[in-house]
Amino acid sequence: MPLGFSFVFPFLLIMALLQGGAGLLGRDLCGWRPTLILGLISAFIAVTPVGGLPLARWMISFNANFSISLTAILFYKVTESSFGVKLLDKNDLLTCWVFSLTAGVILYPMALGLGRFDPYQAGWGFSWLFVVVCGVTILLLIMKNRFAVVLIAAILAHNLRLLESTNFWDYLVDPFMVLVSCIALSNRFLRKLSKRP
Amino acid sequence: MNRRLVIILILATLLLYAWPMLGWLSTLGREPATFATYAPSTPVVDDKPFMVEEFINPDPGKGMVHVGSICELPDGRLIAAWYGGTREGAKDVAIFLAIKDPGHPTRWSKPKRVVDRISASRELYRYIKKVGNPIIFAGSGDHLWLVYVTISAGGWSGSSLNVKVSSDAGATWNNSRRLTLSPFFNISELVRNKPVPLSSGGFALPIYHECLGYFPEILWIQSGREDGAIAFRKSRMTGGQSFIQPSVVAYGPALATAFYRCRSDEKAVGVAVTKDAGVSWSEPQTLDLPNPDSAVDAILLSDHRILLAFNDSVQNRENLRLAVSNDRGADWVRIATIESTQGEKYSYPYMIRSQDGLIHLVYTWHRKRIKHVVFNEAWINARMKRIAK
Repeated sequence: MPLGFSFVFPFLLIMALLQGGAGLLGRDLCGWRPTLILGLISAFIAVTPVGGLPLARWMISFNANFSISLTAILFYKVTESSFGVKLLDKNDLLTCWVFSLTAGVILYPMALGLGRFDPYQAGWGFSWLFVVVCGVTILLLIMKNRFAVVLIAAILAHNLRLLESTNFWDYLVDPFMVLVSCIALSNRFLRKLSKRP
Repeated sequence: MNRRLVIILILATLLLYAWPMLGWLSTLGREPATFATYAPSTPVVDDKPFMVEEFINPDPGKGMVHVGSICELPDGRLIAAWYGGTREGAKDVAIFLAIKDPGHPTRWSKPKRVVDRISASRELYRYIKKVGNPIIFAGSGDHLWLVYVTISAGGWSGSSLNVKVSSDAGATWNNSRRLTLSPFFNISELVRNKPVPLSSGGFALPIYHECLGYFPEILWIQSGREDGAIAFRKSRMTGGQSFIQPSVVAYGPALATAFYRCRSDEKAVGVAVTKDAGVSWSEPQTLDLPNPDSAVDAILLSDHRILLAFNDSVQNRENLRLAVSNDRGADWVRIATIESTQGEKYSYPYMIRSQDGLIHLVYTWHRKRIKHVVFNEAWINARMKRIAK
């Protein structure tokens, strides 16, 4: 199962890059037919062997656990470019950035050695982390925030062991997701600042 | 989202979280795992002092070898693992095994290549730049575990841990399995020391992290329900930047002492204790034994003294000495100099005690060969008596 799923993120990334490139060239690739063609090209690129390994597995060589949140954001971008459908609205995205940045700030400094407490330990088995994320998910569902669906996908993927990691943290967040969240929140902040009279 | 969908999704969320919770609830009634082998299996009948030295691998010429480990199979055979190649980090570096039958007390088999970067890349289905640090240990029956390091990018800080298991005493091995132990690209996790067996049938394997922080950890590893499956998690012994490469000596179901390689300016062997079977560890202290930022290893003797192998210097690895403690590591008596040559390196000692009571010490000799030194407790006692005079 994890081997097949490991191609999903690279496939989506290639597709998003191709869509971005087409956008820069002024080509509109919205619709079923261009999406199907682009999807086939992306799948072909992902499985093309380079130096004996499919391109997707080269990506996995350097980061085997792209989080479900980042995969969902990429899926959102691809479906938006393909069909003009926004699966997440501004509020959902803001929740995603804040959640990921908060998770990253809690996790990475301590996991990399700041102090004796290692929050990463909480991702194995069942712990406070599961209770907190479950609570956040239910709260977001009550608030009708669609980022909750991404969190449901994360626990589902964890239970199915779709990533190489068995640790729940890796399904929620990864360093790239934190970076993307930082950039998105900074942009938002700068935009708000520039709008002020 | 309409109200009905919200209710359905809330129920789905609760169900999905119930799955890991049920797994956790099923473990609540179980006794927590404790250290299983805290006393040597049989008291040794001391006779004559005995000590013999030999090399495990042939002279590699211009090449290098490093990080030897050794374990005993149930039939008394010894099996050693190390890595070697033309130079550290070279593309031809591989992990080797050699076996020694009890019937051939001084002859090790020809080294057999068990993992290299090509086979690791194939088994893990990803790019592997280099392999290293193999630790071999025996499980139940003829099961052998090999935990080793692979690097896809960068130096040793880019290390990840992998496991291979053999169910026929090393004749064949299953495919390597990558362990995800760090949230930051799963890098900077390394292994160097032998594990402590647990009452659950698993192992507490001392590992360490080296990236922004340098600290010791324990990898709790257990065979899974299905054949070839493993379950694992890790816990931190302490944080900071000073202590790595823990060598754990258990002397009770819940009691153990860990000895650390010291990276700080204190340049002394670090020590910490646990009273809850490795769940928590005391703040590290330093011993009155020097440490030139090099690995140490310790084992328990039959009368609960601790034997430590270490580089007795604050500057270099030009000597390798043995010391004994009667009081669980507070005070030490240096009993023997195993090696001492100016300008040479003797490093990464690794000790086990075999069923016949012999102590096996392996270490890197001049970075050229893995040396195997065998002695008994009578030899240790004779050295102690000589020093007391």
